Amino acid sequence: MSALNGFKAAVLLFVAAILQVSIFAQVHILGGVPDLVLVMLVGVALLRGSVPGAIGGFFAGLIVDTATLGQLGLTSLVLTIAGYWIGRYGETTGRDRAHAPFTSVAVITVLFSVGVLVVHFVLGERAPAGDVFRGLLPAIFLNLVLTAPVYALVRRLLRPVDRSDYATEVQLLG
Amino acid sequence: MLLVLVLGALALLTVSFRSPTSGPLHDVQGYGSAALRPFQVAAERVARPFRDAYGYFAGLAHAKSENEKLRRELRDANAIANANLANARQAEALKKLLNFEGGATYPKDYRPVNTTVISYPSSSFAQVVTIAAGSHSGIRVNTPVITADGLIGRVANVGPQTASVTLLTDPDNNVPARDVSSGVSGLIRHGQGSTLVFDRVSKDQIVKRGDLIVTQGTIDRRYPSVYPYGLSIGRVLNVGSTDIATFLTVTVTPFARFDSLDAVAALVSTKKR
Repeated sequence: MSALNGFKAAVLLFVAAILQVSIFAQVHILGGVPDLVLVMLVGVALLRGSVPGAIGGFFAGLIVDTATLGQLGLTSLVLTIAGYWIGRYGETTGRDRAHAPFTSVAVITVLFSVGVLVVHFVLGERAPAGDVFRGLLPAIFLNLVLTAPVYALVRRLLRPVDRSDYATEVQLLG
Repeated sequence: MLLVLVLGALALLTVSFRSPTSGPLHDVQGYGSAALRPFQVAAERVARPFRDAYGYFAGLAHAKSENEKLRRELRDANAIANANLANARQAEALKKLLNFEGGATYPKDYRPVNTTVISYPSSSFAQVVTIAAGSHSGIRVNTPVITADGLIGRVANVGPQTASVTLLTDPDNNVPARDVSSGVSGLIRHGQGSTLVFDRVSKDQIVKRGDLIVTQGTIDRRYPSVYPYGLSIGRVLNVGSTDIATFLTVTVTPFARFDSLDAVAALVSTKKR
């Protein structure tokens, strides 16, 4: 990833993190809260690959935890893994399918919620699984609504990587 | 690279978990939070008119029929009102807060640090908001935070220019409280929905519907309470009991509206430690 593209991705994730903690965290619709950081990270990771995805997830999580004075490293840990995982999917031929960003957002919303729940549980903190799962479906819906415009913006700003740039592209069958 | 980042995150998590309110990492986080504060404030200000406009139109959805002239007038009025609504709402909240701070019920030995909420609970794990004032304004961990309506919580973590406030609706927050009418003491904790529970009140005590619940304050100087006496919390909604329960079930409606917090004040103790 070129320095310019790296800078653009960093700015996108920074703005997403600030908007998330300041604005989107207050949007409660049917018990769900949209997660702009997650949707933005999916866009960056799908277009740039696993390593940029993991780095982006780490720093986006760090900004969220810092801005909210939360448990430092918690969001970073889960977003790093999420960014890497989506980036791996982006390195397969499956990324070109029209539904790839939507599928990724839906799956990663579930995995992110479960991941944060597990980390809270492991730390011995309150882990209200019922509340989390009740808000999951609306959160998936809200994140899917955000996906189209956010992915279009990320795609416009970050040129998709040429297939030849991937050292280990995986051919998906079916 | 993934391994390095995961180990980095785990290291941060470990250090942060071991000393959540002090230490070098906490200081760095505090300064980081202070650096991000202008961006958060800017984002919040940009979003406020849209949020107010959304709230306004959501309310209008239930309106039945209006003639064309009234609709046109309404659209014009809305355009003007939306532009001023954000400032007007904040001014109203600040005015109420100022009246409370100048009133007779304001606790002695405390000075108010007036500020605003800049971020809201982002998950169901903790009922925490971030306020735009921190240790530079004298705020410390456990500083009580109020609105003009009543107590909303206490400071859980503090940076130089920001602080996180654990709300009364957080399950980890228990506040020693008192029924003003009967003098009965108990603990305020979160309840179902938007209500609170006045807990630890034995069945032989008398608590009535409509009674005012306030903070209990310090009973014994050796064990000072973080909350001064007399901060309004809410009014008793209903009182119940069962044969097997040791305590009464007292539901309290809080005065503060936790879903629309804006102007708040942190009560900083002026007593020398």
